[in-house]
Amino acid sequence: MLVNIARRLAAMLAVMFIVATMVFFLTRLAPGDPASLMLGDQATAADVAQLRKTFGLDQPLIVQYVLWLKEVASGNLGQSIFLQRPVLQAIGERAEPTFFLALFSILIAAVIGIPAGIASAVWRGRHADQVASGLAMLAASIPSFWLGLLFMQFFAVRLGWFPVAGYGDPGAGLVQRLYHLVLPATVLGIVNSALITRFTRASMLDVLSEDYVRTARAKGLPEHRIILRHALGNTLVPIITVVGLTAALLIGGAIITETVFGLPGIGNLVVSAVLRRDYPVIQGALIVIAGIYVIINFAIDVIYTLVDPRVKT
Amino acid sequence: MSDLDRELSRQGWSRRDLAKFIAGAGMLVTLPAGNRVFAQGAKSANLAMIGEPQSLDPMASTADLVSTIMMHVYESLYTFDKDLNAQPMLAVAMPKVSADGKLYEIEIRKGVKLHNGRELDVEDVIASLKRWIEMTPRGKSVGASVDKMEAKGTHGLIIALKNPVPALLTHMALPSGYAAIMAKESIANPLVSFIGTGPYKFVERKPDQYVILTKFDDYAARSEPANGYAGKREAKIAELRFIPVPNANTRVEGIVAGQYQFADQLPVESYKRIAATSSVKPVLVMPYGFPYFVLNTKQGPFADKKIRQAYQLALNDTEMMMAAFGDDKFFKATAAHFPKGSPFHSEAGGAVYNKGDAAAAKKLLAEAKYDGSPIRILNSKQYEFHNRMALVMAENLKEAGFKVQLDVVDWATLVQRRADPAVYDVYVTHSTFLPEPMLSPPQLGDGAPGWWDTPTKKAALAAFNAESDPVKRGALWGKVQEIIYDEVPYIRVGDFAALCATSAKMTGFVPMPSPAFWNVDLA
Repeated sequence: MLVNIARRLAAMLAVMFIVATMVFFLTRLAPGDPASLMLGDQATAADVAQLRKTFGLDQPLIVQYVLWLKEVASGNLGQSIFLQRPVLQAIGERAEPTFFLALFSILIAAVIGIPAGIASAVWRGRHADQVASGLAMLAASIPSFWLGLLFMQFFAVRLGWFPVAGYGDPGAGLVQRLYHLVLPATVLGIVNSALITRFTRASMLDVLSEDYVRTARAKGLPEHRIILRHALGNTLVPIITVVGLTAALLIGGAIITETVFGLPGIGNLVVSAVLRRDYPVIQGALIVIAGIYVIINFAIDVIYTLVDPRVKT
Repeated sequence: MSDLDRELSRQGWSRRDLAKFIAGAGMLVTLPAGNRVFAQGAKSANLAMIGEPQSLDPMASTADLVSTIMMHVYESLYTFDKDLNAQPMLAVAMPKVSADGKLYEIEIRKGVKLHNGRELDVEDVIASLKRWIEMTPRGKSVGASVDKMEAKGTHGLIIALKNPVPALLTHMALPSGYAAIMAKESIANPLVSFIGTGPYKFVERKPDQYVILTKFDDYAARSEPANGYAGKREAKIAELRFIPVPNANTRVEGIVAGQYQFADQLPVESYKRIAATSSVKPVLVMPYGFPYFVLNTKQGPFADKKIRQAYQLALNDTEMMMAAFGDDKFFKATAAHFPKGSPFHSEAGGAVYNKGDAAAAKKLLAEAKYDGSPIRILNSKQYEFHNRMALVMAENLKEAGFKVQLDVVDWATLVQRRADPAVYDVYVTHSTFLPEPMLSPPQLGDGAPGWWDTPTKKAALAAFNAESDPVKRGALWGKVQEIIYDEVPYIRVGDFAALCATSAKMTGFVPMPSPAFWNVDLA
């Protein structure tokens, strides 16, 4: 098992190297120049050239790549061009809202999606299934920005229950900051619950047709006990996969939701960095996001072995 | 023991804990919004801005957002009144200028405290102006004409120029990439402490969350009545919080809900909603800016003046402005590059503006033997109004017989591509309105994209820039404007307004291109 884990860790490093290389070159393939953007209309070509030199952008691309890779290998993701601070610091400052937003969204999605999926499978073809499946389809189809604006209109503007946007007043405590996440987390939770509902339903339907479930029924066990004790446990593997991957995506930055709700998260950071061509931030943030994604994938594989002894690492 | 008690005990809770939790949750739902969600001190204002400032160093960036925030911290020697005339701020009065326009003598106000408690003197001013000349595009253009700057006593400044620079005070007054006066000991690259003389001092920046400024108690105000950015400044609100809210709809919802007391640059579509909300006041700043199209005079079809003239005749500027801004209260289609009241107001050359005359354009194209090369319109959807104007422009051009190719890219790409004459024929951009012709657009200078460089331009601008007398300069600008309409290096489409909104409780707010919050109070 340890050998397998070591092998997987080596594969993770290889994946990260490929990601870093692709991120670097894809970022530079896009046209645009941070120096021109920073200096504005009035700058002369000489001013722009001087600033490019300051940022090392005048060097051949391959030289920039090697220098950057060396820094990354030593744990330094570089210095933001526009934010005038290290990339790691910029990411760290924005990690909290993104982390909590992802956590709450996933919790809400799971709380909605798993029971809805179970109900849909148990009462297959009946009203409960039609309602749950219909709502899941609707949730999957609704753009998160539209649902966000709708929630904002109703719960924040009309009812005044929640703040419209932001992450708390200056000096706000954790509770107030988290309070600002209620609306965006609910929106993301609803949107992401659709996939969990569908996976849970499909998985539960598979399990409910197994022999051991038929046997349990033949033995006269109550239906709720069959569902919750015998069937649910065996549906967990695909549900864990979809929950884990959704969490990884959300930690990578729920870009649109963060923008609509003005949350100072990683998604917002990446968007503004792309628009400004702040290369070190784009590269650094994408590497961190890819790293989280790879680690969560690894964790999912490990969890499989815990919930299902048939799966070997 | 009941089932409930047993369950609570298993969770480590008592009935009292449960009651407290339920009461707390109930309070959360039933408390009015003003008490709960938007709790803030009576004298603090949440100001929703269009994004995160690139920097807080007003010389490191020409972005308007940077200056909008930092002009509360840093002041300049001169500033603008409501009619955008330069007026003294840290200077005692307007400068004494020699007859040849080459020597400026400026007296600096005494008793002005910096935010570190020290009194401002001429050494701070010289150090700041030198940094401005070294770092900013505008400063560099002025610096090329500066022979020397020297102190005269502790509060006197002499600026000797190699040649007259009639727009010197305007350059120094502009709040974009501006000549901010800072404590000489704070000057560094990058700037890490922000010590100025303004009515507010810097407290904290949390990226993507806020920039906080607080009232500077030792602020030395001028005695003249407030007028635009000029005159008496008083910090009536104790704390200003500039909050980046990049999504325009969120800014609208936030001010309607009462979370913000000011929201900057709102979509014109939101005007009706804001006007119908009693707790909010819409504010229009007119003119705020002007869209303009820069033609590539270096190569391609527009290297031919006749084809550029045909292009100009084909355009219906009113239609383009209507497409861009939706309602004529938000724009003005006008041939004059400067509004009435400005010394530069002139209708010269404007007979060819806003014609939308496809037949006349076709005739000119035939005379020019236009070969049907597509006109590549470079524009960006990042500014939605640019794209809407480009779509109308394309239709106008097709009607006149042009072939058209729309190249829609993001703004960063456009900024890079406009420097390459091989890849476009015209690009769409805009500028904020500035009171002095030489400040914008950059095509009036040398080497800017479009590469307009003709003997007539040079002669007209040389005469204009050599003249110091404001009245004579006005007449000379008329000549320049006439040449612009004849040679068509760019099309100035019209003026547009900016829509922002304040809380109905906010008093004393004066609509200006960069919103200022001194002399502003919250009832």
